[in-house]
Amino acid sequence: MDRRRLLTTAVLGGAAGLVGATALGSLSPEDVWAAEGANAKINPGDPDPNFVEGRVTAVSDAVVFVTSSDGTYHSIRVTTGTSIWKLNPSTLDEVKVGDGLYARGVRMPDNTLAADSLWVNIVNLNAHVDSIGRGHLNLDHHGQRVVAHVEQGRSAAVYNNTPAVSDMSMLQAGKHVKVIGAWHPDTNEITISTVYAAV
Amino acid sequence: MAALYGEVSWFCCGNSWGPCGSTGHGSCGTCNSGSRQHAWPNASDACFAITRPDRCGENLLRRTCGHVHTTTNRCNGKAVATSIADCGPQTDLFCGERTCCGTVCGSNRVIDLTPSAYSAIASLSSGLTPAMVS
Amino acid sequence: MPYTVQALVLGAVLAWSGALKLFSRYAPAEARRTALAGLLGEKAVPAHRVLGGAELALAALFLAPPALTAEAVAGIALTTGFLAYLTYAAVAAPDASCGCLGSRPARVTWRAFARAGTLLAAAVLALFATGAWYTSILDGRAIALVIGELALVAALSPELDHHWLTPLRRLRVRLTHPLASGVPVIPLDATVTQLVRSGAWRATSALVTSDVTDHWDEGEWRFLAYTARYDGEAATAVYAVPRLRYDPGAVRAALVAEDGATLYAVDGPPPGEVPSWALTVQTPEHVRT
Repeated sequence: MDRRRLLTTAVLGGAAGLVGATALGSLSPEDVWAAEGANAKINPGDPDPNFVEGRVTAVSDAVVFVTSSDGTYHSIRVTTGTSIWKLNPSTLDEVKVGDGLYARGVRMPDNTLAADSLWVNIVNLNAHVDSIGRGHLNLDHHGQRVVAHVEQGRSAAVYNNTPAVSDMSMLQAGKHVKVIGAWHPDTNEITISTVYAAV
Repeated sequence: MAALYGEVSWFCCGNSWGPCGSTGHGSCGTCNSGSRQHAWPNASDACFAITRPDRCGENLLRRTCGHVHTTTNRCNGKAVATSIADCGPQTDLFCGERTCCGTVCGSNRVIDLTPSAYSAIASLSSGLTPAMVS
Repeated sequence: MPYTVQALVLGAVLAWSGALKLFSRYAPAEARRTALAGLLGEKAVPAHRVLGGAELALAALFLAPPALTAEAVAGIALTTGFLAYLTYAAVAAPDASCGCLGSRPARVTWRAFARAGTLLAAAVLALFATGAWYTSILDGRAIALVIGELALVAALSPELDHHWLTPLRRLRVRLTHPLASGVPVIPLDATVTQLVRSGAWRATSALVTSDVTDHWDEGEWRFLAYTARYDGEAATAVYAVPRLRYDPGAVRAALVAEDGATLYAVDGPPPGEVPSWALTVQTPEHVRT
């Protein structure tokens, strides 16, 4: 909580000794990336060593063990600075065996991935809304039925380019939507994070 | 090619988990979520017949498997170079859709990146981002 | 009577299907989406047309006198062929479109099989016809049977769902409001989309390395924290975003080092100020292609 207070004060201008953009120097991505060397060595089409995809096989104190779909094993190190998306910003406690994940970070010399971000069970579906039921959408995703649950207070809808809102009532059966959501492992169900629809 | 402005999103491929379990390795047979790759709407005649970007007024060049495009996120300037590994996105389903960062906007879905490529320039939890493709 | 009117049912369905395959301007695109395209490549387009022609010719035979057993045999052959094609499509190209009755894409599902089965049954019944269909059509029961069979074929056709099933489902949603929200809340994604549209985000997001790590509300503000990297050092990028109004120009940002020092703070550059990279047409130099 102390950290939150410190950050709140910093961003609302209560802190002394603020530095302006010019004093900090350029913040252009070219300069940042040149300094980090983050993206320079990966050829198009090649596997990205700083990225892991797979399913969680074990979780220890600060390491998530993952088996990729190609059968390779990965250890992902989680720190306090790692963001964990599991529908909401989450903590390592909520990462369970059987979850699917994508992770981005920096590959360490011992071959573990020091994670900047974990996205757990995240899916991005382009689907057809077959019908709408009480609190959920029935989607046709490449011929497979997917039940997309609406979670009050969390699920958001973007209609055309309007800001995201919690009102889902403008969604229509028979239309196409894009859904970012959280998969319920080993089912055909997801919970909607954001649904993009044209109205 | 001249730079193309539009929306970028992401898709999974390579028999990954969840609803991606049955997607296979894409129309080029090489697609994997963990590789720096993308889907392009005009990768072949059969592909174009499905995606139909022309219905949204997008005149995309025919580029086949392995061709390299560079996608720049116009919200933060980060860019990633990827090669074609699949057909998509289905542009004509969302003609005229716009995504903006302030005054910078992109219209129509013109490219889908793999999760590894998209996460290099944006967060996977953001579904659509205005982009420049060259 | 049930036997003689089958020619009318088969004639009507085949005429509809054949005409769409031959004359619809979307027919070539639809042909390329079918499982036939996987089998024949570009030849799928002429093959689709030839099939349409055969369907129209058979429809004419069914509808025009005299009634011949050969017509029913041809009908059985064609509908059996449909079933074989559907089986092939379901196994070899489950994502492909059926290309059966109409120019709208529709995947092969149990409905396509049920429809082909219905037509096969009609063709088998037509074998036992003793006269032309128009000799018994004035009978009320015959009319009801024809209408019933055509309605069944229509109900089994996903290509026609947008005419009746989708409007019915929309009506149900209008009446029952299944997604109505009781509490007006501001979802986190609404705040995040407002943030990414702000000048403050454009000025700082190149330093951000993570997704949202923490968020909290205070008064009119919602605060979002991200991990950032500046000069090789870990830092926190924190943003204050108006919670209850949409005003990306009011977003504020700060970069705070691990030791608590504020490295950078910005109230947000004017919304109209666009960095050069957002508009540039050259390939950025920092990307290796």
